[in-house]
Amino acid sequence: MNFKSISRAFVVAAASLSLAACGINSVPAAEEEAKAKWADVEAQFQRRANLIPNLAEIVQGAAENEQTILREVTEARARATAVNVTANDLGDGEKMAEFAAAQSQMSAGIGRLLASFEAYPNIQSNQNYLAFQSQFEGTENRIAVAIRDYNEAVRQYNTTIRTFPDTIGANIIHGAEPLVPYTAVTEGAEAAPQLDMTSN
Amino acid sequence: MSRVALLFLALAALLAAPLAAQPEFPELTGRVVDNAEIISPEVEAQLTTQLEELESQSQRQLVVVTLPSLQDYEIADYGYQLGREWRLGDVERNDGALLIVAPNEREVRIEVGYGLEGQLTDAYASTIIRNEIVPYFRNGDMEGGIVAGTTAIANHLALPEAEAIRLVTQTSKEANVGSGDGWLVWLLILAPFAFVILVIILASKGGSGGTRYSGSTSSGTSVSTYSSSSSSSWSSGSSFSSSSFSGGGGSFGGGGASGSW
Repeated sequence: MNFKSISRAFVVAAASLSLAACGINSVPAAEEEAKAKWADVEAQFQRRANLIPNLAEIVQGAAENEQTILREVTEARARATAVNVTANDLGDGEKMAEFAAAQSQMSAGIGRLLASFEAYPNIQSNQNYLAFQSQFEGTENRIAVAIRDYNEAVRQYNTTIRTFPDTIGANIIHGAEPLVPYTAVTEGAEAAPQLDMTSN
Repeated sequence: MSRVALLFLALAALLAAPLAAQPEFPELTGRVVDNAEIISPEVEAQLTTQLEELESQSQRQLVVVTLPSLQDYEIADYGYQLGREWRLGDVERNDGALLIVAPNEREVRIEVGYGLEGQLTDAYASTIIRNEIVPYFRNGDMEGGIVAGTTAIANHLALPEAEAIRLVTQTSKEANVGSGDGWLVWLLILAPFAFVILVIILASKGGSGGTRYSGSTSSGTSVSTYSSSSSSSWSSGSSFSSSSFSGGGGSFGGGGASGSW
């Protein structure tokens, strides 16, 4: 009698423990982690977009060419802010690609603008320019770090929902779908690649 | 059996994959880690004292590190990973910082923890590198640049003294509240388990007509084993105080600035 009740208690405890091992907790935890990391990525992209107005002041001393690039950058910024990937869209590969394309377009524009400033010694020594350059570099670096952290969280989440035993809970209880990692569109990726056999 | 072994191998490979992509990090031997051997012992001692004073005054951890090689990584890429590896700064405030010098690549970087990004901004870190450090390095005076850079960063980090004192008192209060909350959370988590087990045992006892007292004692022992195992795992996570210098658990997100000469 007594043995029976104790064994029953053990069954209940074992059942709850094995349920916990089936991904009841680990799957949502991994998903929330990935979503949090995505929020970091978005925050860093926003930080870069917020830097753009500072460029207007710097460009004032430059020629028409730079004014044109700045207009392009501002337009790219408007497009990039229009594409919004929320935490619920993280499984949507198309939307993610669209977002990445818009962001990299803006990044390329800013890069082009900074490169063309090299012809202006007066701008190069301008305090606003130096501050902008370091902020832009820092933001690009933070974006790279945030994206890497996000991709790592996605990798862990996707591994969790596909491997035993978490995959049981992931499929039966949560109906978990894999998330899409962020793939940065490299500058000029849409242009035809040049044949270059001399690899470094 | 071989299939199980294969599964384990595959899991091990998955776990090992991100580790293989990481650079190698030097050991955190002190507040000055001079692996490129460009700092004399006297200057190293002087810097160590300066950095100790900074931590005792502002609780912020600044470490000077010189590297013989960046292992083909960009200094910004290497820097934040080194900061995370060493876990500089407080776990809550993330207020660690690094001054990294790679003399062979002619690169220098100030790596700033999450929590200090607002105070030691990218633009300010860049100014320190440009105005304080690089002029010395250009003249071949590595020590001079490192001392000037460290002083500039330390002075800046030590600035808001009132704020630092407020933070110290605030965190000590939080630590007390935190430990109390930890027990409360565990109690809340375990209470339903204990209750369910108790109810099941009592119900089975009642149905089979056994004595109530023996039933409640068996449930009592199962509850106590639960709480003791959970409390031990909880307390092991919070023991990280040691006499030698080590990071406090802070993290880095790529803030700071780089320069070359």
